[in-house]
Amino acid sequence: MSVEIPSDLPQGRARSAPRRAALVWPHFNARSLTVWRRNALAWRRHAASSILANLMDPVLSLLALGLGLGLFVSRIGEYSFLEFIGPGLLAGSAMTWITYDLTYGCYDRLHWSRAYHAMIASPLSVGEIVAGEFAWQATRTTLFGLGFLALMAPFGIVHSPWAVPGTVVITLLTALIFTGPALAVGAAARAEEQLSYYFNLVITPMFFFSGVFFPLESLGPALRQVAQFLPLYHLVELARAFILGSPLPNLTTHLLWLGLFILISFLLPGRLLRDALERIA
Amino acid sequence: MREERQTVARARGLVKRYGPVEAVAGIDFTIRPRECYGFLGPNGAGKTTTIRMVTCRIPRTAGELEVLGRDVDEAPAAIKAQMGVVSQENNLDESLTVLENLYVYGRYHGLSHQEALRRSHELLELMQLEGKARVRPMHLSGGMKRRLAIARALVNRPRLVVLDEPTTGLDPQARLLVWQRLAALKEAGVTLILTTHYMEEAARLCDRVAIVDQGRVVAEDAPDRLVARHSGQVVVELDRWEGALPPGTANGAGPIRRADPIGESLYLYGDDGDQILGWLRARGVRPLSFRVRAATLEDVFLVLTGKELREA
Repeated sequence: MSVEIPSDLPQGRARSAPRRAALVWPHFNARSLTVWRRNALAWRRHAASSILANLMDPVLSLLALGLGLGLFVSRIGEYSFLEFIGPGLLAGSAMTWITYDLTYGCYDRLHWSRAYHAMIASPLSVGEIVAGEFAWQATRTTLFGLGFLALMAPFGIVHSPWAVPGTVVITLLTALIFTGPALAVGAAARAEEQLSYYFNLVITPMFFFSGVFFPLESLGPALRQVAQFLPLYHLVELARAFILGSPLPNLTTHLLWLGLFILISFLLPGRLLRDALERIA
Repeated sequence: MREERQTVARARGLVKRYGPVEAVAGIDFTIRPRECYGFLGPNGAGKTTTIRMVTCRIPRTAGELEVLGRDVDEAPAAIKAQMGVVSQENNLDESLTVLENLYVYGRYHGLSHQEALRRSHELLELMQLEGKARVRPMHLSGGMKRRLAIARALVNRPRLVVLDEPTTGLDPQARLLVWQRLAALKEAGVTLILTTHYMEEAARLCDRVAIVDQGRVVAEDAPDRLVARHSGQVVVELDRWEGALPPGTANGAGPIRRADPIGESLYLYGDDGDQILGWLRARGVRPLSFRVRAATLEDVFLVLTGKELREA
């Protein structure tokens, strides 16, 4: 008597694939920097137009709102409206620079240019690709941030000697916090249109309710509590302190929140990118 | 000699399931050094899925799979370091020039700046793309793009190159050029694994071919031996005739090994065309319009699966 074995089972040799990691962390090493190098080479070709396009937006906001609207706004605390929004625009713009570049960038590298497919056929791992994107966004954002700081200086906004290292800290933190979600959104999107949900439902509201344009005190205590959950709020507070030299009583609280957001940003994209690379042939 | 020196890739009971769909339904193969091994089958047969498991792109559902002596799940980076992959879809980097595509890929593989540059120029020359170093891939012809994709896969001097449909969509001249390059690679000692649905490609390049249908290998051997074993050397394509064929001809009778109706015609498989025609005439069948031609892998596929490869 023989036991019948369904023919679709590999008989006697059946062995499941090893269980796969539930989390894929960014893996920073020398190889991950080759992804940074690829992005830098690709960016170099249109660096001028990229800088112009990305700095135009915050500079226009600064002029139109700070100088234009600012005529009708008396001082906010001890600062002019222009001074008040300058540092906030730096942090908010850093967020949008990263988000626009990488949500579309990630979607493009998965669906159109398929650069990620080429990368994953080399010894690069998903974690190393993610780490390379983090490193590149940190670089690019810092470059733009310092550019914006230079453009703010003639308006008399930059008060503190800490402004330059402060700007670097702000752009680096912003990159660490927003690179992960942008990659995750780009990897999870099934159609390009879906990317705009993230802008419209997350990024744009965050830009307006993180204290860039008005102090959150004016929203009332309840909404102020909600703002704690917005990473941009903490970055704006930090930026204002660095650039205007204003006091920052809750530094530790801000840093703890930012640490949490960085952790989330590290955790989010790896697995989604791995799944996307397997799903998209 | 250790076994890993004698096999470049080895699968046992390899399965890939997507939900209820079994894309690869238990495949075995052993690919030896310096051979060119082809997976031949129609679209959807499971060729590409198999290749994607071999190149560490997707995890298997079950079975064993070793490439270059290592389990694909355990050592993907080590395997990929010695492998070159040319995928079916072009994934050349359009943000970079032709030269930069090669250079950047060399860096992914851990080459230094100098090494990556030197190797890139070497490969441009090898693939006859020197004049195109500074243009972007979008400005290349289909054949040049494919040659660039192959060049990129060679940047790390791989022991194994895996190509998914290397000449699909190329015109005959471009295809010939790619075939010549692949033949030269093989000559240089590189093991090749490729998928194709072109008979001619499989027959011309491959030392051994696995015929894949519905996620399974239905036959595996050298192309000429597959032909000899499954279809016979010769096909008589009978378009018009008078008289009735003897009953049982379909499953082989006399010199006819098998007969299949294809459209309006009847394909008679065997090893000698004159013998087949003589045998028919002796039984009162008068062939009015016919062709005698050499059998190909296409016929083997038809015999084994009952389907025409191009339409399957």
